[in-house]
Amino acid sequence: MSGAEHIVKSFEAELKKLVDLLVQMGGMVESQLVLATTAVVDRDSRAATQAVEGDPQVDAMESTIEQHCIRMLALRQPMAVDLRLIVSALKTATDMERIGDYAANVAKRSVVLAQFSLPFSLSGIGSMARQVQINLKLTVDAISESDAEKAITVWRTDQAIDDLYNTIFRELITYMMEDPRNITPCTHLLFIAKNLERIGDHCTNIAETVHFAVRGENIQDARPKSDNSPYAVVRPRES
Amino acid sequence: MSNAMAEPDMKADEIGRISARSAVVAGAPRITIRDLDFFYGDNRALKSISLDLPEKQVTGMIGPSGCGKSTLLRVLNRMYDLYPGQRAVGQVMMDGSNIIEPGLDLNQLRSKIGMVFQKPTPFPMSIYENIAFGVRLHEKLSKSQMDERVEWALSRSALWEEAKDRLKASAMGLSGGQQQRLCIARTIAVRPEVILFDEPTSALDPISTLKIEELIDELKQDFTIAIVTHNMQQAARCADQVAFFYLGELVEVGQAAQIFTAPKQRRTQEYITGRFG
Repeated sequence: MSGAEHIVKSFEAELKKLVDLLVQMGGMVESQLVLATTAVVDRDSRAATQAVEGDPQVDAMESTIEQHCIRMLALRQPMAVDLRLIVSALKTATDMERIGDYAANVAKRSVVLAQFSLPFSLSGIGSMARQVQINLKLTVDAISESDAEKAITVWRTDQAIDDLYNTIFRELITYMMEDPRNITPCTHLLFIAKNLERIGDHCTNIAETVHFAVRGENIQDARPKSDNSPYAVVRPRES
Repeated sequence: MSNAMAEPDMKADEIGRISARSAVVAGAPRITIRDLDFFYGDNRALKSISLDLPEKQVTGMIGPSGCGKSTLLRVLNRMYDLYPGQRAVGQVMMDGSNIIEPGLDLNQLRSKIGMVFQKPTPFPMSIYENIAFGVRLHEKLSKSQMDERVEWALSRSALWEEAKDRLKASAMGLSGGQQQRLCIARTIAVRPEVILFDEPTSALDPISTLKIEELIDELKQDFTIAIVTHNMQQAARCADQVAFFYLGELVEVGQAAQIFTAPKQRRTQEYITGRFG
């Protein structure tokens, strides 16, 4: 019974298509993020351009998904798990569109960043970006497999991203205090880190949405949150 | 998030508990059904049903044909008494007495629990007489009192404006939707406390259907209502509490919003999403 299908086959096909579209959109923003990360870490301007150019397609996909959902709501009057899937798809598409925007923004800043020679390594940002990539991939897997457990994993792992962000935040402030010539690249890096952190948050949103779509209830625990950067103070050493 | 993967967690031991936990909707129960069995001869059509009908709320009953929902309505006002070989066992408590016990005054019961059927069933007489007929069986009213009662019943059923100038005309001249509202007027004219609707709009056009639904929404201020419907959207629109029946069992009962967004039982989900069988 678990794999029970709709009596109306065309409805079944439309639901399947909806999941396919979401996974496809997930793949699009995943590759945007990979390109943006390459652009920053490897100073690859071609990757940056590709990441930015991916944005209109992501936007178009969001509107395709929206139209598909509205059409199904109007024509099928979905109930229960179907209703949850369709409403969740609308929210997920919005979150993914934001993820695409942040990735494009990271890519844009990488172009400015590449004009500076940096006296410090980008390994911190690199590993944060990798962690975000892993979480985004897991998010898309959770959607494609209707896997509430994977969604919970994404939801929990976001804390690690926030921790990395706090570390980077402090690190960058230190570089700026050491040498004012670092201020421009470090400011861009701050925004890049912030954008990555926001992508992580949108993955968490999607994870919550997937959990609700699959199980019909919200994740019970309080959201793990450890972005402490709003309270971070790094004081210059007294000399 | 594919549909095949997503299903409510069904725990076998939960099924038994569900029926006893029917009072999920706030409001004291007006009718309390406990361990009700019903037999058509040897065929057990209702299996140990336990359900509360909360006072001044609408309970929607859904389920595939033959699941027992109409049978349950027929038990509630003892319609089955008319047929030999049909019997009910268990408790259907209202005002401290078990209404399925023999020896109960059926006329009095049916004045407390009225019923509206699938097809409008006006009597072949005037609109006025259709309503007065039932009232006379239970009460002795003067002409002016009866006029008042007829106007009240027609107003409460949203038919007064359309019918006030033709009260002496035959009820058979009304449209289907008007006839059904007349039947509702006839039912409430004897001032019942509970009204049972057995697919009241399945023979009506969409606008007449919406008028009846709007009427049900108004009537629940004064009456406790149970409605059997095959139209899932109708149950979602009308009901406060929804009960899903399958093969004579009460599978799940809960608030309408819960049943239609996140049903707990897999069979409920498969039925309301159209994945049945």
